[in-house]
Amino acid sequence: MLKRFGIRSSSLVLASLVVACGSTLPPKELVDARAAYQTAAKGPAAQQSPAELHVAKQALDQAERSFNDEGDSAPTKDFAYIAIRKAQLAEASARAALAAKDKDAAEREASNLRDDQLSRARGELQSTKSNLEKTQDQLAREKAAREEAEKKAAQALADLQKIASVKQEQRGMVITLSGGVLFASNEATLLPAAIIKLNEVAEALIKGNPDANITVEGHTDSQGQRDYNMNLAQKRADAVRDQLVARGVAADRIKAVGIGPDRPVADNKSAEGRANNRRVEIIVQPHK
Amino acid sequence: MLGAVNIRTNLALFASASALGIAVSACGSSLPPPSDRLASAEAASRSARELGAEREPKAALHLKLAQEQIEAAKKLMADGDNKRADLVLQRAGSDAELSVMLAKEHNARGEAEKAQEKLKSMKNGK
Repeated sequence: MLKRFGIRSSSLVLASLVVACGSTLPPKELVDARAAYQTAAKGPAAQQSPAELHVAKQALDQAERSFNDEGDSAPTKDFAYIAIRKAQLAEASARAALAAKDKDAAEREASNLRDDQLSRARGELQSTKSNLEKTQDQLAREKAAREEAEKKAAQALADLQKIASVKQEQRGMVITLSGGVLFASNEATLLPAAIIKLNEVAEALIKGNPDANITVEGHTDSQGQRDYNMNLAQKRADAVRDQLVARGVAADRIKAVGIGPDRPVADNKSAEGRANNRRVEIIVQPHK
Repeated sequence: MLGAVNIRTNLALFASASALGIAVSACGSSLPPPSDRLASAEAASRSARELGAEREPKAALHLKLAQEQIEAAKKLMADGDNKRADLVLQRAGSDAELSVMLAKEHNARGEAEKAQEKLKSMKNGK
């Protein structure tokens, strides 16, 4: 009796142990682990994190082995639990890799954009610099031309001062030539020496004041009839103008005016005063 | 006669006890304390914390699970159930490592968004 009980009880213990360790239905944890791995394997993890996915597969295999060996045991559930985490980790790793790629792409695009902007700015700077250089060249040329013109004007003035009286007045630069040097008494024909002198004046005017407006004024003393003096003054002014034009002074910028005795510079009572009054004035007004 | 029966009975009981003993030892025999596994799980938890896992809900959840399992494993080790403790620590390690990766993912997404915002601003000429 006791023997039978003993044998039967050992069989029951063994049977119950076998049942405990060998259920054929997989536990929920293992089912979930299989699904988790399938999801991960079908997603971006296959491309982005194959090493982590491989680890997840190994974990699932371990859970499957445990299930085959021990059935629905605590270790099987533990291994399934771990396999789920490994599959989730593979997926998270793939998402992190994709985010890192997104970041790299954005940074690359930003860098290219910066390069483009920098390149454009450099181009604009170069263009501005080039324009500035051109302007500077232009200014330098203009300055050199101005200096050259001033030098010529100064030289022309110096030349004129050698051959005539030159004064700066409000109406312009006044070149005074004595009537006695230019004409014989009561004549309006230039003396040979006067022609030489006027040629020098013409040269100085062309050199120093090529754009200036010029007025030639004929002045006489007050002796004799006024009409005669006026007529003589005009003729003398015309003669001087014609000679200057003949030597190259622009005809459209020069005019001749007979002033006669109306603007004496000295007393007509003395011979010296009258000699000073007989004169031709050339007024040079700078072009505006 | 009775003595012989008793011996046989005792033998049968011993056989049952042995079978039980073998079965028990197959499912939970004592092992050396899983100190390396414990250290590894704790290190992974520290990494997760350093990466800011506590600021990201999913990472924080797995960090908490890891922590709870580490504590449970320590108790099992104290009770001498090192085999069970080893498995619990493997679970803890997998949670801690997942927490690390979720924190990394969160950070990578944040950096990507920042880079994209910066690019957008540049495109808008700001």
